[in-house]
Amino acid sequence: MNRNSSRRRGTAIAAALLSTTLVLTACGGDSEETADTAAAPQTRSVTGGNGTIQVPADPQRVVTIGNTTLPFIDMGGKPVGVTEVGASELALIPTDQKATFDAATNLGSSGDQVDMEKLAGLKPDLILAQLPASEFEGIKKQLEAVAPTVFWGLDVEWKALADGVSQAGDVTDGLGEQKAKFQEKIAKIQQTYSAIIGGTKFVNVDRWESSDPGTFSVADFGCVEIAQDDLGMNFPKAAAGEDPLGWTSLPYEQIAGLSKYDVITYPVDAAGQPKVSFAPVVATNTWKALPAVNSGRALGVFCPGNNSYGPVLQYLDSLDTALATLPAKQ
Amino acid sequence: MTTLAQRHDGPGTATVPGPRRRLTGLVVALATLLILLVLSVMIGSTAIAPSVVWDALSNPSADIDQFAIRDYRLPRTVVGLVVGAALGVAGALIQALTRNPLADPGIFGVQAGASFAVTVAVGLLGVRGIGGYMWFAFAGALIVTLMVLALGSTRQGQSPVVMVLAGVCVSAVLGGAGSALELTNPDAFDAMRSWNAGSIVGRPLDLVWPILPFLVVALVLALAVSGSLNAMALGDDLAAAQGVRLTRTRVLAIIALTLLAGGATAIAGPIGFVGLMVPHVARWIAGPHQSWIFAYSVLLAPILLLASDILGRVLMRPSEIPVGVVTAFVGAPVLVALVRRKNASAL
Repeated sequence: MNRNSSRRRGTAIAAALLSTTLVLTACGGDSEETADTAAAPQTRSVTGGNGTIQVPADPQRVVTIGNTTLPFIDMGGKPVGVTEVGASELALIPTDQKATFDAATNLGSSGDQVDMEKLAGLKPDLILAQLPASEFEGIKKQLEAVAPTVFWGLDVEWKALADGVSQAGDVTDGLGEQKAKFQEKIAKIQQTYSAIIGGTKFVNVDRWESSDPGTFSVADFGCVEIAQDDLGMNFPKAAAGEDPLGWTSLPYEQIAGLSKYDVITYPVDAAGQPKVSFAPVVATNTWKALPAVNSGRALGVFCPGNNSYGPVLQYLDSLDTALATLPAKQ
Repeated sequence: MTTLAQRHDGPGTATVPGPRRRLTGLVVALATLLILLVLSVMIGSTAIAPSVVWDALSNPSADIDQFAIRDYRLPRTVVGLVVGAALGVAGALIQALTRNPLADPGIFGVQAGASFAVTVAVGLLGVRGIGGYMWFAFAGALIVTLMVLALGSTRQGQSPVVMVLAGVCVSAVLGGAGSALELTNPDAFDAMRSWNAGSIVGRPLDLVWPILPFLVVALVLALAVSGSLNAMALGDDLAAAQGVRLTRTRVLAIIALTLLAGGATAIAGPIGFVGLMVPHVARWIAGPHQSWIFAYSVLLAPILLLASDILGRVLMRPSEIPVGVVTAFVGAPVLVALVRRKNASAL
C-alpha cells in the first residue's frame, strides 16, 4: 500500500516535471520561430513555365537540371548539383567552366532520371530546370517540395532562357555587357555581309554521336537559328507545326542533294577541324564532289552552345570569320 | 506426276518434294535474288536515273550521282547479301542442332554477347563508329558462345537442351549488365539505340572483307556436318548407330553458327526474324534435308533482307527505316501465317 502510494506520488511529480518542461520548450520554440521569421531571407518573384515563383533574392545553393546547367555556369553561377551533360558538349566549354561543372554533384543522367534523395541531401535553395514539359510534370511536385523550382519548356527561345536563368539564379552581373556585345556583333555581320546574306541559299548540315551510321541531317536548330532569326540568313527551315528538319536522318546518298545550295555550313571544333561525329561525312566522295565544297563555299562553323550569350558570341565570331572568306571565292 | 515430284523420306517426315521441285525452287530463288540485287542498286531514297546507275557500274566517272551508287547502294547490297546468307544458314543450323523450330541464332547468346561487347566498347573504352566496335561485337559473340558451350557440356557430352538453357541464362545476365551500363552512360545509350535497330546502312565494304573469310569457313563447316545433322534429326541413338560422332558434329555446328551469326551481327547489329523464318520456308520447299535447307537459306535469307531493306528505303522518304525494324514488322506476320499452315514445316 505504502509502496503503491509512493509510486503514485512519484508518477505525479514526473508528470508535473514533464508538463513544465513541455511548456518551457514550447515557449522557447515560439521565441526561436519569431527570431527565424525576423531573419528570413528576402525573396523575389520570377516567372517561368510553371508560373510566378518566389525565389531567394540571393540564392546560395542552386541545382540545375537539363539545359539550364551550361547557361548558368556560363553566366558565372556555381551550381551545387547538376544533371549530366554530353561529353561532346563539355569538350567545348572553357576549362574553368568545366571545373565548375565537375565540382557539382551529379544528380543523374537527365531530368527524368534525377536522384531525388541526393537532390534533397544537397539542401538547395533554388532549382532551375529546362526539360520536356512531360518530363517536368512527372517530377514537379517532388522538386517543389525540396526548393523553389523555376521551369522552362524546350520551346522557350534561348534569349528568354538566358534572361530567366540569370534573373532566377541572380547571375545578372555580366549579362548586360554580353547582350550589348551580341547586338554589336549582329549589326556588324549584317552590315558587312548584307549582299551575301540577301542573295545566298545556305544550308546547315550536322551529324551527332547518336546519329545512325551512314546518315546525316539538315539541321535547323542550334546555332543556325541565330543565323536565321537574328541575322536573316536564308537556311532551310521546317514548316510551321512540322518537326524540325534536323530530326530526320538522311542517308549519305542524299549528300548529293546539297548541290542545290550556294553555301554549306557544317560543324567544326575549336581548332577548325570537322567535329568528330561529322568527319565521316566530309570523308565521303559525294561530299568532295559537291560544287560548294569544290569552290570553297563549304564553311566550317564553331558552335559551342546556343543557350547563353557566351557561346553564342563565340559562334558569331566563327561565322564572321567564315563569311569573310566568301567574297574572294565567289 | 505427283509421285514423281514427291516422296516419303522415312519416319518422322511428311511427304517431301522430289529433286526436280527442289531444283526448280532453287533456280526460282536464285532468279529472285538476282532481281533483288539489281533493284537494291536501282532503288534508294534518292531518285537516280537507270542510265546513271548503269554508267556508275560500267563507265565510272566523278559524277556526284555515280558516287551514290558506287559508295552507298552497291556496298549496302553486298552487305545485305552477305549478312542475309549468314543469318539464314545460322538459323537453319541452330534449328537442326536443337531440333527446335523456334530456335534462332540468338538463342546461344550470340547477339547478347555482341551487344554487351559493343556496350562495353562504347561506354567504358570510348570506342566510336561501326568500324571500331565491329570487332568487339564479333569477339563478344565468339566468347559468349564458347562460354555457353562450356556451361552446356555435361559428362555425357553437349546437351542441346542444357546449352539452350545456358544461352538463355547468359543472355539474360549480359542483357541486364548491358542495360545497367547503357542507363548510366548516355553515350553508350545513344550508340546502342542505333546498334540495336539492326541496319546495313553506312557499312563500307572495307568492314565486310575481313569478316568474309570467317563466314566462308563457317559455310563449309555447315555443309560438312549437314549429313550428320540429317541423321541426328532421327534421334541421338539412331544417329550414333549410323556412325555419327555426336559431340564432334555439335561442336562443329556450333562453331559454324557462331561464326555466321557473330559475323553478321558484328556487321549489321542484331537483325531478328531472318534466322528464325527463312529455315521454315526452306524446309517447306525443300523438305528435311539439311544440305538443301542450307542451299535455300543462302538464297532466301538475302531475298528477305534485301526486300525489307528496299522497303525501308522508300516507305519514309527522304528518311529510311532500318532493315532490322522492317524484317521484324514483315517477318512476324509472315511467320505466323507459315506456322498456321496445315502442312507447317516440321523438323
